[in-house]
Amino acid sequence: MIKIEHLSKNFGTLSVLKDISIDIREGEVISIIGPSGTGKSTFLRCINLLDCPDGGSIHIEGIDLLDPKTNVPKIRQKMNMVFQSFNLFSHLSILENLTIAPIKLLGMNKMEAERKAIDLLKMVGLAEKARNFPDELSGGQKQRVAIARCLAMEPKIILFDEPTSALDPTMVSEVLSVIRSLSKKGLTMVIVTHEMDFARDVSSRVIFMNEGIIYEEGPPHQIFENPHKEKTKAFIYRVKSFNYHISSPDYDLYAMNAEIEVFCEKQILPRKVRQNLILLVEETLQLYHSYLSKVSLDLTIAYSEKMDSVELVFESTGEEIILISSEPGTDEFGLNIIKNLTEEIGYQRIQDKSRCTMKLKKV
Amino acid sequence: MILQHNKKMEATIVALEGRMDAITSSDYEIKMKGLIASGERNFVVDFEKLDYISSVGLRAILATAKQIRSRNGKFLLANVHGSVKEIFTISGLGSIFPFYDSIDSAMAFFV
Ligand SMILES: Nc1ncnc2c1ncn2[C@@H]1O[C@H](COP(=O)(O)OP(=O)(O)OP(=O)(O)O)[C@@H](O)[C@H]1O
Ligand SMILES: [Mg+2]
Repeated sequence: MIKIEHLSKNFGTLSVLKDISIDIREGEVISIIGPSGTGKSTFLRCINLLDCPDGGSIHIEGIDLLDPKTNVPKIRQKMNMVFQSFNLFSHLSILENLTIAPIKLLGMNKMEAERKAIDLLKMVGLAEKARNFPDELSGGQKQRVAIARCLAMEPKIILFDEPTSALDPTMVSEVLSVIRSLSKKGLTMVIVTHEMDFARDVSSRVIFMNEGIIYEEGPPHQIFENPHKEKTKAFIYRVKSFNYHISSPDYDLYAMNAEIEVFCEKQILPRKVRQNLILLVEETLQLYHSYLSKVSLDLTIAYSEKMDSVELVFESTGEEIILISSEPGTDEFGLNIIKNLTEEIGYQRIQDKSRCTMKLKKV
Repeated sequence: MILQHNKKMEATIVALEGRMDAITSSDYEIKMKGLIASGERNFVVDFEKLDYISSVGLRAILATAKQIRSRNGKFLLANVHGSVKEIFTISGLGSIFPFYDSIDSAMAFFV
């Protein structure tokens, strides 16, 4: 239905979309999620030619969108877009908002267009507002009208760009339930959204966009329950992280502790978690101490708001480090403390890097 | 860390305050070495105002305990509480030392 190959888009020197390829089949409901500024809106706008791509190709039902001979307005009838900011015509009544395009562009007669508009307004629960003007409606109602207006053109594809982001929280669900009902009607939909629960249960496929590329895509249970790649995990689990680089055995313990404290405060971690974290870091660095003149060490502390968990990663570059050996004579107190403060400890050796990961025990 | 000592008839009380970690534990060791060298035999260490101890601190405590005991002195820990007590426990060092819950109860040991 939609075939996109090697799509790219720049704004001046800023490369916003890098090399996007995707096939969207008829009836698919695709959610696009990802950090702000990652190119999600630009991607939708390119599909609809509201922004002109700089490279690659877009085919809609086999028609090359970027071919100058292509009748773009005609394609746009097939593929309509719903915006965050509703974009209703404020000088027209709700009914007129829904009938103007079908009359002008599809050549529908007024009566037929109005009958259809009323049906659509019923579907979104707003038939009684037909004679009102957009200013007399709440945000959620306006967005439902915008969706009905979009449907009045009988599109096969609807693109939604954060349809609920401009709404009061109380009005989000009424709009989502309308979109949900459309998904059951076989319409092909591409939805950019920050509503993760909604994306999880409405989509057939979820795309995680990051820095202008499709970083990971898959069925909702993969992306939300078991994301495979690092940045997807960080996004889904709402991970906030802290890094500290240690390049000598005389590193400044107090400067590091102060930074850890600031990080913990930002994440509103309880005092006890902070104390345990600082102790765990000091104890682990003790084990590294004799190596610190030979290797450099990067400490990452990652807090997942969603899982309410704290993970530590100590990554050293250089000779292999066996941190916790079972040989007698090793620092028993330190090891006992580490074992008691952690739920899990893991090791990995990747090329010239040794990685030790620890999961802080919950308090 | 702040260290204070107060010599009584039976023992010298050493009060710890703040943090006993990889950086400050050596202050404690130096201080204790000095006191031992000047002939003190019995010690009570007051943990009332200590907020934090790491394994470096624990090892320093253990090392001075050994030195003092090898001179037939006594080395008692008082007011170990809260998270510091927890760290003693989880490190495995807690069971080696009896804790006294006040300076007075530790001093009572000497009479
Ligand atoms: N018309 C424009 N001119 C210049 N830069 C633009 C233009 N539109 C978008 N950008 C830039 O392109 C990047 C991607 O923007 P885009 O709106 O596509 O992000 P987004 O993923 O939709 O973010 P959000 O989740 O905040 O809506 C941003 O850095 C943005 O500043
Ligand atoms: Mg956007």
